[in-house]
Amino acid sequence: MIGFIILAAVMLLGGVGVVTFRQPVHAALSLVVTLLALAVTYVTLQAHFLAAIQVIVYAGAIMVLFLFVIMLLNVQGQEPAPHLAWMRPLAYAAALVTAAGITITAFVDRSPLPSADRVAALQGGSAEQVGTLLFSHYVLAFQLVGVLLLTGIVAAVSLAQRGNPAAPPARRGEAAPERELSHG
Amino acid sequence: MVPTPYYIALSALLLTIGSVGVLTRRSAIMVFLSVELMLNAANLAIVAFARQWSASGIEPALSGQAAVFIILAIAAAEVAVGLGILVSIFRHRVSTDVDELSEVRL
Repeated sequence: MIGFIILAAVMLLGGVGVVTFRQPVHAALSLVVTLLALAVTYVTLQAHFLAAIQVIVYAGAIMVLFLFVIMLLNVQGQEPAPHLAWMRPLAYAAALVTAAGITITAFVDRSPLPSADRVAALQGGSAEQVGTLLFSHYVLAFQLVGVLLLTGIVAAVSLAQRGNPAAPPARRGEAAPERELSHG
Repeated sequence: MVPTPYYIALSALLLTIGSVGVLTRRSAIMVFLSVELMLNAANLAIVAFARQWSASGIEPALSGQAAVFIILAIAAAEVAVGLGILVSIFRHRVSTDVDELSEVRL
């Protein structure tokens, strides 16, 4: 229960941060914090495979894409962020404390391995179980998601190509954006 | 084991926070971030119910987790295409202000 309360607080604070921050980079990083707290919540909900996928796909790919686009478009916040002189030493100190804490805990904490029934309970939500489900009962949905991802890739590449001034125009020397839009 | 209503309440709170972000933010990218927050809130609710109804016999066990896996893939495709649209809009207009973008003709 304590873990749930801590995770819920982090998630709600991160969510409020997404909505509140003026700078887009701050809001995106706040969403990353929320997604990581959500991944830990998945672990407590016996969804271990989903927790790993959440970190890899959502926090690791989708949010990185968001940050790329924010920095590529140079999206301006409402007002510039002030430069805080104490931020860098604080970050170094926090990283040092975290690394030391994890390292010391790894060597000092000699908790016994989980008992057999706890190991059995942790079998739920493993990659093997979710994968078996996806490939047996929901294989049609799985294949359709593959088609959807292929469509997304083609759409994203064509969207990136259209604005390219070096790309050849549609016909008769005109850009004709309406014609290209009618494909979609 | 934390009871399921707690997770559902947390999911509802995240959903409302995300919807507030969708309604109040002016930049299109910030609206996108809030939509992602709402999607994750829904995922949390589905995983909580998957844990509660796991191996109930009605459906295969952990069906909710398979559904969340698929929702994750759909969200990834949606973000890729949506950000591609945003970038191509930004190539023609300098601002991504949604109030100005409401007059975009397609």
